[in-house]
Parts: sequence; structure tokens; C-alpha cells
Amino acid sequence: MFKKMKILSIILSFAFITLLFFGCSQGDTRFNDTRDKGDELILAVGSEPDQGFDPTSGWGRYGSPLFQSTILKRNSNMEIVNDLATQYSISNDGIVWTVELRKDVKFSDGNPLTAADVVFTYETASKSGSVVDLSVLESVEAIDDYTVKFNLKKPQSTFINILVNTGIVPRHAYDNNYSQNPIGSGPFKFVQWDKGQQLIVEANPKYYGKEPFFKKITFLYLSEEAAFAAAKAGRVDVASIVPAYANQEILGMRLETIQSVDNRGIMFPFVKAGEKTEDGYPVGNDVTSDAAIRKAINIAIDRNGLVNGILNGYGSPAYTVCDNLPWWNAETVINDSDMDSARKLLKDYGWEETDSDGILKKEGMRAQFRLIYPSSDQTRQSLAIAVADQVKPLGIKIDVEGKSWDDIKMLMHSNAILFGWGSHDPLEMYNLYNSKYRGVGWYNTGYYYNSVVDDYLNKALLATSEDEANEYWKKAQWDGETGFSAKGDAPWAWLVNINHLYLVRENLNTGKQKIQPHGHGWPLTDNIEEWHWN
Amino acid sequence: MTEILTVLSKKKFINILPKLNRRHSTLLRVTFSSLILLCIIAASMLLSNDRIATNFDLKNLPPSMAHPFGTDWLGRDMFTRTIKGLSLSIYIGIIASLSSVIIALILGMGAATLGKAFDTFVTWLVDLFLGMPHLVALILIAFTVGGGAKGVIIGVACTHWTSLTRVIRAEVLQLRSAEFVQISRQMGKKPLWIAIHHILPHLVPQFFIGFVLLFPHAILHEASITFLGFGLSPHKPAIGVILSESMKYLSTGMWWLAFFPGLLLFVTVRAFDSIGENLRLLFDPHNAHE
Repeated sequence: MFKKMKILSIILSFAFITLLFFGCSQGDTRFNDTRDKGDELILAVGSEPDQGFDPTSGWGRYGSPLFQSTILKRNSNMEIVNDLATQYSISNDGIVWTVELRKDVKFSDGNPLTAADVVFTYETASKSGSVVDLSVLESVEAIDDYTVKFNLKKPQSTFINILVNTGIVPRHAYDNNYSQNPIGSGPFKFVQWDKGQQLIVEANPKYYGKEPFFKKITFLYLSEEAAFAAAKAGRVDVASIVPAYANQEILGMRLETIQSVDNRGIMFPFVKAGEKTEDGYPVGNDVTSDAAIRKAINIAIDRNGLVNGILNGYGSPAYTVCDNLPWWNAETVINDSDMDSARKLLKDYGWEETDSDGILKKEGMRAQFRLIYPSSDQTRQSLAIAVADQVKPLGIKIDVEGKSWDDIKMLMHSNAILFGWGSHDPLEMYNLYNSKYRGVGWYNTGYYYNSVVDDYLNKALLATSEDEANEYWKKAQWDGETGFSAKGDAPWAWLVNINHLYLVRENLNTGKQKIQPHGHGWPLTDNIEEWHWN
Repeated sequence: MTEILTVLSKKKFINILPKLNRRHSTLLRVTFSSLILLCIIAASMLLSNDRIATNFDLKNLPPSMAHPFGTDWLGRDMFTRTIKGLSLSIYIGIIASLSSVIIALILGMGAATLGKAFDTFVTWLVDLFLGMPHLVALILIAFTVGGGAKGVIIGVACTHWTSLTRVIRAEVLQLRSAEFVQISRQMGKKPLWIAIHHILPHLVPQFFIGFVLLFPHAILHEASITFLGFGLSPHKPAIGVILSESMKYLSTGMWWLAFFPGLLLFVTVRAFDSIGENLRLLFDPHNAHE
């Protein structure tokens, strides 16, 4: 009797579970159908900002601030256009920047945005000591309600990017809690933030620009796998995904690949070993300080192979830190995957194989060094392993090792590191290659130094027009004789630019996207006013 | 006549299979399990590293004759990676469980012979370590030491000596009151001499079985803390690494990345477990006659 009951209960529970699953999938399809017509969106893109949404401490530096608006912005062709400004002018010596503001701008709480708010924003940001680098700013003052004057300590052409990246916060509503509950004049206003789960925003009815089509947007903070699963289940309208998932067809979704300068490359210590940083970390590496090693690796790497093999084709070969941006020098593109030239180069510089262990030697030194990648990042891990395997036939042995970011901080001056950069601000390039930034933070960790490059970089910074600045940025990369690209000193071996991949609902139009920067923010939502259903 | 023949042949057939008593079958199981483990170690030495070099032409292949376990997203042969990973795990397991057993032996014998104070201290220490969830302690230790194989070995060694210490302490306490030890003491032998000559030989079974039974623990812990990201560097062919990275690819349908390594890990751990259990049956005087 009992046995029969048992069997019966098992059968029943199976039936119940099956029904349950069936019910679920039915629910999903219904969910799917109603989603397309509404003015709400659910996105799973990018990561959660730990510090909240305060532009004075770095929010919106990559991508758009969403809640706030900026003085200037870049359009989809990367040209600088007005946002809050009606016009701006720079004095002939490059020291004084004057900005005229629109008069019709209101914060989402109804108060007007005036010059005082701009002054307040920039003063707060320069005091915050955060990633927003305003050390060049001497003072900022309001001339009248809608005119702001910035006085710089010295001319700096990249200051314009600070005007592009810094969202304006309201003076009357700014307090310590601002980053958790932002108020701004941007296209969307803040509704709710459940940390680690979601952010809900609604269209700002007081927005002065084009009214966004979507009235409510929910951002879900999901891991890569969860975002993909959610897209598969039809629960999100846009999901950012990793290349590994890109070949999967999903019903009702299309794959959007967006070009980026989100690059990955190998930083080589440029000087010989021996010194120490102020914190006592070793500096320099005898093997990578040899130009032949760095150049040979640059020539030998099969960048297209890496793009196809590791990024499944969703990327492009990288030659500098700023590929395809207005200040990029196209002459820096080299012929790679060229083992014979690499071998010859090594031989010319005195690297020879003296015994049969397959590793080149020069004056008793073996062509062997450590390449360290952050162990949490699988793309960088794959790149590191693949590069090590690619240069092995040359006789250069790269020992790949995964470390935490804390460990990398200690090792990054004396070992090759797989870093990633890519910004819409050429100041990043300045910081990476200028000798002033040797050993400062994460910049120029290899202690790269070239006086000619320094000179060009400084000239670019001092330039008063963007065109003039770009001219010098390009020369710093390669001027025909020297530069910091692979043709010149090759302190880096740039590998790939990673396309940003999004699964987007088939009939959702996301407008024209610009080249996206390093993916810490939400570059995708930069033009969210343009989004609409087809 | 024919009936008799068939009966006879049946009987003969039965006779061909040796009639295994408990001891025989135990021995057989031990041999079989050891063979599996030996095969894994031998295979890891024979397989060349070229098979785990990246090869983008061969990436994401399902299992086939050339690649019995398939290949991963860099075109590395999963069979080679799994075998190399397992043997790395086995090495780590040997060192970790051996040091753990030695700690247990020293503390257990010390507790039972060095007087009341030391005994209380060891018992307190055992309670302390048993009272803590050892995976947490393991993660803490591995993290403090800075990850890597060293962290795993120290972590396992520091957290797994407790139960064996108790067993050894109890055994020594019992031995101490045994007549031959009492007599030896009456004859004026020093405690250390007695410990080495009379007590230690009796602990060999506990030592050995404790070692073998700790082994699967050590491997599983190596796998789990590496899986959680506190252990070995993620490009090393360790079994925990392989399993954790395979999770990312499960939703793309690459089941072979997790299935075969997981299965082989299970087989290895089961093999060790069976060796330990069966050795206990052979060595332990309470079971040996069964």
C-alpha cells in the first residue's frame, strides 16, 4: 500500500514540475508580446558605478552621465558640439575659456541651471580629489547668470574634454547624499536604485533637448552569463554580452557590434631593472628594456588571428591606444604576423640561440619574462596565453601569470602587464607616455621616456585649437623617425580593440553609435534620446 | 549424459572465476584503484605540452577521436588539460595530506604523552579548528598566503589535521596503559624511547589510512578554492580552474568542458576513497578477520 502511494506521489510531483515549467514558458511569451509596444525599456548593459552618480567624483567619465547634462558633447562623428553651451571661446594664450550657457535649462526639480551651478560643480570637482583631474584649473567664475569663465594655470587643449565629460550638478540640491539620489538637467531623472540589482529612471519632463521616446528605463545589473540568459528568455530589451556568446542566435534579438577603442595591449617595462618606486616596488626589466624584444614581439604577433580566435571576429587589430579617433596617426599601422622580420631583427640586435633549449640569449641573458594579467578577466587571460604561444617560435619565452589587481600594483613596474585603456580624451595618451607620469598611478608604469615624444606631447597640450593639438598628438605617435608607436620605441604591444556587443530587440532602433571608449560606463546610452521602436 | 556434461561444464565455468573471499576482493579493488591513479600520473607525463598550446583552428570542437574530451575556446585539447590538471591536483593532494597527517601524528602523540597541560592545549586547539567551518578557514589561509599551490597546500594542511589528531590521541592513551608499555616504563626506559619503539609502530595503520582518506578531501578542496578564485592561477591546467571556466561556456552548449573533467575528478576521488576504505579493512585488526 505504502509503496503504491510512494510511486503515485512521485508521478504526481513529476507532472506538477512539468506543468510548472510549461506554465513559465507560456508566461514568457506573453511577456514578450506586450513588451514591444510600450515606452519602457529594460536594459542589462555595463556595470554598476560603485561610487554612485556624482559627476564631481567621476560619474559619466566614460559614456554619458544620463541624469546630468554637460557643457559640450561629442556627436556620433566624434565632433564637439554644444550641449548646455550656446558658444565658447578660448583666449589667444589658451588660458581663459569663456562659456555662454543656454537660458532655458531647468533641473528636474524645476530650478533653473545657471552659471553658479557650473562654478559650484567645477569647484566641488577640483576639491574632491577623485579621478576627475582638474589640477590645471586655476579658478572658475560666473561673470553673469549665464556666462562662465575658466582660468587655467597653463594652456591645455584637453581641457575641452573635461567640459565634455563633467555633468553639472545643482548647487541648491547638492549634499553628501547626492551620489545616491542625483538631480540634474539631463534627459532622464533618477527614480530608484537598488544596489546590486537595478536602477530605474524616468524621462525628465523638463529636459531642454529632444524628448526621449522612452519614458521609463530599468537598468539591471547582471553578470555576463545572467545577462545572456535574460536576453535568451526575452526579459531584457538590450543586453551587453561577451564574444563567446555572440554566435548564438536568439529569437527576436539582433546582435549589434559597436566599434570601440576599448583596447588591450601589453605594457613593457622600458628601463633596466635596479631601481625602486617610492613604495619600494621594483622598477624595470632587463629583457623588455631591450628594444629588439619589444619590436620583435610587436611584429610577430598575429593581431588578426587574435581578433578572430579570441574575440570571434568581434574586434579589430590595435596599433595604438587611440585607434580611429581624431588624434590617431594612421601611419602607426604595421605589418604584423611577420616571423622572418622579427627573427632577423632579434639577430641584428645580438639575440642568438646558443644552446638547444629554444630560448634566445644575449650576453648570458635569456629572452624570458613574465606577462601578468588580471586573473578575473578571461579575455585578457586568453590574449596573454595566445601571445605567449605566438612568440614562442621566435625563441622568446613569456611566462603567463594571473594575479589580482592588488598584486599587479606591486608588479606592474617590473613585469609586462596586459592592460586595457581607451578614452575619448587624448589626455589619457599624454598620461600613458609622458615621462612626467612615470610611476604615477596606473599611468606610464613602464617608465617610458623619450624627450622628442615628451616635447610633442607637451606641445599638443599647449595647443589652442583641436586641429593643432591633433597634429602634435599624431607626431608623438610617429613623426617619421621616432614616436611611441610600434614603429618607434614600442613601449607597448597593442593587440586588439574589442567591439562592444549588445543583443538588441529586433525592432529597437538605437540610433547611430559612436566609437565607444573603455567599457566602464554605459557608452551605449549616450544617445538614448534617439532610441525608438521601428 | 548431455545433461551431466552441461552441469559439469557449468561447474567448470564457475570454477574458472576464482572464488574471492573478502580479502581477495579488497586487494583487487585496491589494485584497480591504484592502477587508475597511476595511469593518470603516467599519462600526464607522457602527453606533450604542444597539445595544450593555443590553436584557433581547433577551437570549440566537440569530443572526437582526435580530441576525446573536445577542445576549449582557445583550441586546447581538453583531454590533455584534464589529465595534467588532475595530476597537478594529485601532487598537491599528496603534499597537503601528508603534512596534515604529520601534524596530526605529532600533536596526537604529544597530547597523550607530554602531560596534562599539553593535552588540554591540543584538545582546545582541536575544538577550535573543528568549531570553524573549514572551507572559510581554508579560503582565509589561501588568501593570506597569496594564493597559488602554496596557499592551497598550507590551507589544507592547517585545517585537516583535527579529527585524525583525536583518533591518534585516543589510540595512544589506550596504548599507554597497555602492559608492554607499563613494563617497559618499569624497566626504566625513557618516554621518548617508548614513544618511538612501542607506540609509533602501532600507529602506522592510522597514519596510512588517515593519509589516504584525507587525499580526496585535499583534491576536492584544491578544486573548490581554485573554483572560487583563491587558489591557482587561472591559466594553470588545474581541475578547479577547468571546472570554473567551463561554467561560462555551459550556456553556449559546450557541455564537454565541464562533463569529462568533472567525471574524471569524481573517478579519481572515488578511487582514493576506495583505496582508503579497503586498506582500513585490511589493516584494522578489528576488521581484518572478516
